Amino acid sequence: MKNNIRVERAIKNITQADLADLVGVSRQTINTIESNKYVPSTVLALKIARVFGKPLEEVFILEEED
Amino acid sequence: MKSRFLFPYWCRYLGLVLILVHIPIVMFKKDLGFDLHGTPPSSDLFNSHHLFFMTTTLLMAIGLFLVAFAKERIEDEQILQLRLDSLQWAIYVNYIVLVISLIFTNDTEHILFLNLLIPLVFFIIRFRWKIFRNNLLIKE
Repeated sequence: MKNNIRVERAIKNITQADLADLVGVSRQTINTIESNKYVPSTVLALKIARVFGKPLEEVFILEEED
Repeated sequence: MKSRFLFPYWCRYLGLVLILVHIPIVMFKKDLGFDLHGTPPSSDLFNSHHLFFMTTTLLMAIGLFLVAFAKERIEDEQILQLRLDSLQWAIYVNYIVLVISLIFTNDTEHILFLNLLIPLVFFIIRFRWKIFRNNLLIKE
């Protein structure tokens, strides 16, 4: 699974730390999600999508091998 | 996601203090008059040798337990997953060492001791290492 969090953050002009505060996780977690090292739970993915005001599929994208 | 059955954050420091307190006691047990290796240990329960062993082992075990299972500053779902992963590793390593030591030695007191230490120590090392790696990633 890949994601557009980095792009969406740039559009909204918020840092990893800001996003982490908004969804209630650590900055490390946001960082590992952005670099595709950690797959968030459905709840966290929905929270992140809500921060950007976009549907889930626009932020998180399934890949062939998933 | 809520992780249950974890101690408050400050318990980590309490645990470290307990471990640090236990080290000099074990190191200087001869000076404290508890080196009973030469004399045949009496078989009574709660003799001085048994009490010393029990107290130091409990100090260390409780210390390690508190360090291992105190909450992180931000206890989120990734930390929860790292905990689970590390716990699985620790159990694997523990049983591998247990099986090997059962085959190659019959020193049950030390096997018990290893069995007591390895899961917690390995868990702490692996868990801390993963968190350290995540912190490094953020600095890149």
